Amino acid sequence: MKGPIKFHFFIILIVGMFLSNTGFHNVNAQNPKKNKIRLKVDYVKIMNEEIYFNIKASSKIGKDNVNVANIELAIYNEIDDEEIELGTTTTNMNGESRFVISDLSTIRPDSTNTYNIGVSFNGNQSFKKASKSISFKEAHIEAKLIKKDSLNYITATLKDASKDSLISGASLTVQLERLFLPLFVGEEFYITDENGMITALLEDGIPGMDGNLNIEVVMSDNEVYGTVKDKLIAPVGTPIIDESTFDERTMWSPNNKTPLFLLIFPNLIIAGMWGLIIYLVFNLFKIYKLKN
Amino acid sequence: MAMRNYDTIIHDLEPRKFGLGGVIWTSVLIVIVIIGIIAYIDQIIKGQVVTNMRDYALWGIYISNFVFFVATSFVGSITVAVLRLTNNTWRTPLVRIAEIITLAAIVMAGLTIMIDMGRPDRLLNLFIHARLQSPITWDVIIVPTSIAISFLLLYFPLLPDLAILKKHFQKSKPKLSKWYGRLALNWTGSKEQKAVQTKSIMIIALMIIPVGILLQTIDAWLFSTTYRIGWDSTNMGAYFISGAFVAGVGALITVVYLIRRIRHLETYITDYHFDKMGKLLVLACLTYLYFNINEYLLPIFTAPVQEDIHLDALVFGEHAPIFWFSQIIGLFLPIIILIFKKGRKPLPMFIVGIMVVVGSWWKRYVIVTPTLLHPFLPIEGVPESWHHYFPSLHEWLITAATMAMAFLIITLMVRYLPVIPIQRTIEEQELLTPDKNTES
Repeated sequence: MKGPIKFHFFIILIVGMFLSNTGFHNVNAQNPKKNKIRLKVDYVKIMNEEIYFNIKASSKIGKDNVNVANIELAIYNEIDDEEIELGTTTTNMNGESRFVISDLSTIRPDSTNTYNIGVSFNGNQSFKKASKSISFKEAHIEAKLIKKDSLNYITATLKDASKDSLISGASLTVQLERLFLPLFVGEEFYITDENGMITALLEDGIPGMDGNLNIEVVMSDNEVYGTVKDKLIAPVGTPIIDESTFDERTMWSPNNKTPLFLLIFPNLIIAGMWGLIIYLVFNLFKIYKLKN
Repeated sequence: MAMRNYDTIIHDLEPRKFGLGGVIWTSVLIVIVIIGIIAYIDQIIKGQVVTNMRDYALWGIYISNFVFFVATSFVGSITVAVLRLTNNTWRTPLVRIAEIITLAAIVMAGLTIMIDMGRPDRLLNLFIHARLQSPITWDVIIVPTSIAISFLLLYFPLLPDLAILKKHFQKSKPKLSKWYGRLALNWTGSKEQKAVQTKSIMIIALMIIPVGILLQTIDAWLFSTTYRIGWDSTNMGAYFISGAFVAGVGALITVVYLIRRIRHLETYITDYHFDKMGKLLVLACLTYLYFNINEYLLPIFTAPVQEDIHLDALVFGEHAPIFWFSQIIGLFLPIIILIFKKGRKPLPMFIVGIMVVVGSWWKRYVIVTPTLLHPFLPIEGVPESWHHYFPSLHEWLITAATMAMAFLIITLMVRYLPVIPIQRTIEEQELLTPDKNTES
């Protein structure tokens, strides 16, 4: 009777395998390991313009540092134990996002006049939860153009807005706004004096559109105040003469700006040649009609 | 030419049915054309990836073939117009063949340039968005103009012959006679008709010379207006015109020899004509040799590094076999052979004609492709195979089909049209008769 026992055992084994199919899946399914996300948050204030937070999300996957794209981040205003959601933002393909607030009055500081902002990520199938907080105080920069002994200077005053006090010993940069990277004016950086002031000489002959120089005075990435920037237009540069031939009739312009000599002579030749061809075809008809 | 009467001349020069050889020849051409069309359809479906043209060698044999056809079409300007305006009467038995070659070559040039287009469905954009600053636009204008004039150059002198053929075939082949009648445009040879015809032919003869020169020059400027090694030369226009002179006369000699032999036209196309054509070809070759020396010798003295590399590749390197083949077979040897009177006999001339035509075709390849493989900036970031160019099977099949198509057009015209002007030959015969004392 060895045979029937073996047969039953075999059937039970196969049926059992089918019935426990899901179980097998569970056994074999890999539990994917989630990666950690690193968040970097920078506070930037541009005087009389906008205030925003530059956020960057990255993750170390294997040996590579990868930008994390398309993740939703929540931004909170943290006051003591309370968290007020300001909104959400999504990272772009470079893992970057900018969250803009119209005014600092829309958020509340704590009892020490420090603003606390939290950025959090709730996690997904690939990445773990993550959060990052930053704190900053409000500062003001006021930049001016002054003229002294026929020389032009940029002066700037740095103030702590919460205490309305001048900030001394802080590093400021004076720079010109340019297309790719800013151009430093004078020293690489200036330290504010006891009056919270810096003075930078603006040399003559710096080119600018219509003679306008777009000056920026920047306090970059300060531990207490973050990044604060003031912009001013100084009409003391050397005007750039626009040498563009964009609106001229040139050999490299589009067909509506063909040089006149190239419009006139080739068209005359074309008209002459095709005029004669039409005349010759007309002569064929003439021959056809002149049969007698 | 011995004196022959009216009927004999018509009998000798009337279009004839193909013999077995003609049928085989035409069938082979049709098969090659069909294979080429299939390859072209495949090229349209798959894109130009089927060719071996890539980022650097972006012009290959399609363009060199186009330049060859354009050059060959110059034969109309030379043999028909120039010889007519200089009253060289020996041209008579050769002009019709030259006109046929001109039309076939220029039509095929127009088609070949379209084959090179990645998106032929956008052909109209060349007219809609034409910029007169671009030599491509000039080319787009001059090629159809040349086609129109070449057609008229063939058609106007044909009218009296078509009327003769209408009458000749009236009883034996009434259907064919009807067609000749329609195409003859009621030609009766009346004074008025002759006056209009003569005036028209004179206008065409005057027109086709500047148009031919423009066509060759524009073709040259397609290259020389591009700042590339080997093309950036003020010599290019004249260089192309002299090259076209060689290619055109070479093609004429080859086709004339074949037609003379097949149609037994030895009485009409004599050794004297071959001698004259030989002298014309040697003049063309010597002129072309002069421009070749200008083109290749001067850069040896003045060349920047890149030009030096290019010249080295042509003379000693990768392209040396083709370069020397086109120079020796297509130019030096023909000059040497044609200098001697014996070299200007029909058979040696036929061999020289073939050498010149084949040499001319490869010369266009030498002009077009090596330059593209020697850019000013080094070739980087592309597969090794893109540093070189050799045409793909598709390119060969399609190019062979364009050649076959040109031969087919010539063959069909030779089949249905009188290859030697009948009326003109009769008139010249009449002038030779002792009792006539008139001048043309």
